[in-house]
Amino acid sequence: MLAVRNVSKVFGTDAQRYLALDGIDFEVRSGELVCLLGPSGCGKSTLLNILAGFDRPSGGAVDFEGEPVRGAGKDRVMFFQDAGAALLPWLSAEENVRFALRVRKLPKAEWPAIIDKYLAMVGLAEHRHKFPAQLSGGMRQRLQIARALAVEPKVLLMDEPFAALDALTRRRMHGFLLDIWQRTGKTIVFVTHDIGEAVTLADRICVMSLGPGSRITETIDVGLPRPRDLSDPGAGHIFRRIESLLS
Amino acid sequence: MRAVTLFTGSIVIAFAAWQFLSTMVFNPFLIPPPLVVLKTMVPMIQNGEIFRHVAISLARVAVGFVTGCAAAIVLGVILGRVRLVNDLLDPVIELLRYLSPTAMIPIAVIWFGIGETSKYFLIFWGTFFIVLINTTAGVMRAPVIRQRAAQCLGASELQIFLLVVIPSAAPYIVTGMRIAMASSFMSIIPAEILAADSGIGFLLQQSSILLQTNRIFVALLTICVIGFIFDRLFRIAVDRMLSRYMSYIALT
Repeated sequence: MLAVRNVSKVFGTDAQRYLALDGIDFEVRSGELVCLLGPSGCGKSTLLNILAGFDRPSGGAVDFEGEPVRGAGKDRVMFFQDAGAALLPWLSAEENVRFALRVRKLPKAEWPAIIDKYLAMVGLAEHRHKFPAQLSGGMRQRLQIARALAVEPKVLLMDEPFAALDALTRRRMHGFLLDIWQRTGKTIVFVTHDIGEAVTLADRICVMSLGPGSRITETIDVGLPRPRDLSDPGAGHIFRRIESLLS
Repeated sequence: MRAVTLFTGSIVIAFAAWQFLSTMVFNPFLIPPPLVVLKTMVPMIQNGEIFRHVAISLARVAVGFVTGCAAAIVLGVILGRVRLVNDLLDPVIELLRYLSPTAMIPIAVIWFGIGETSKYFLIFWGTFFIVLINTTAGVMRAPVIRQRAAQCLGASELQIFLLVVIPSAAPYIVTGMRIAMASSFMSIIPAEILAADSGIGFLLQQSSILLQTNRIFVALLTICVIGFIFDRLFRIAVDRMLSRYMSYIALT
């Protein structure tokens, strides 16, 4: 459903010219959870911005359901690492979800039910009147998920969403995301530099090389049952294989 | 409670020190002791003289401040949002903002006379640049992530602007207004000293000519109290009306 064809991205001109992405080629099937994995600065976020439509590729094309991507679309919701900046800090949890419904122009009568449903789904029903600053880092990310789901997108684009959380919260968020993913059947493109995170979550992992001219060096089908344990030999094997690809 | 006690204590100690220094160390004519100042102040309050001057000065500050803020916020939002306008106007603004209201008094008197208009203009001038620069900065610094997140959710350009960018800039705008208000209270005095026949600044000037140091001190004390009261009122109003836009600064 999401097809990336020979995408390249160049920043700057002449002497400052920098080739960030070169010939990126992959597909994401409907309902799939794909991780883009690569070292810091390899252009993962640049690629995700192109998928979202915030940025245009210098060459190649991105098709979504057979149509070329032109600008940010409501069917592809981006999910940011810095939830504090992405959320509207002057609105309570409930009001943040309501904001999404408002700009999506859904009928007002439907708002309360949708707000209740998604706040309950992410476990924030009791915290609905709190402001983002009063929520923990993990709760803020869950609120961001609720707000994204409330507008019923087809694809979630996630840019290292859990990188700033502590290890314990991050593990809980992994279980939480997988649960939401299995219940809603959303397509997810998840950017990370953490091999363990990719192995825990992904159906497929696209491993990217370090720039300039970053490309996808290998695509790995994880094919392990969930929940996954990284100390399991199968997961360990994939982990070491990616490690050797990145080193 | 503790804060109130300390505040009161600080004022009481300052008055005691003032009383001691002016009677024991310095010449009480040059620095009239607080009791003398108080004695001078009572009839000025009773016959309403002081309130007349205060009201006139406050009206001047109010008109200049409100119009200055309104104009600066409108232009600041445009400058923060439209790159070309900013590139064209920013160099001029960067130069003009060094002209303090005091520097503009001589030309203001020629342009507008010594009536109210020149005072409105001077306060407007002082307010305008402070609020303008803060508004522009606030609009420019509205997090890109926040705008993009709203865009993904389906917000239109106008909705992003009204519901995301402006509220994100609110803390900057309010801070600019607060600084501008303090500066307005400072610049109304020289304006009235040099070109007015009423107001607190005029009271200072007139008392100086007549060597009435006690009346000068009444005027100075009044400026302190008025400035303080209005800053507090401004803060209370902001807390009441805009607290949800102001309290998150620690987060971003």
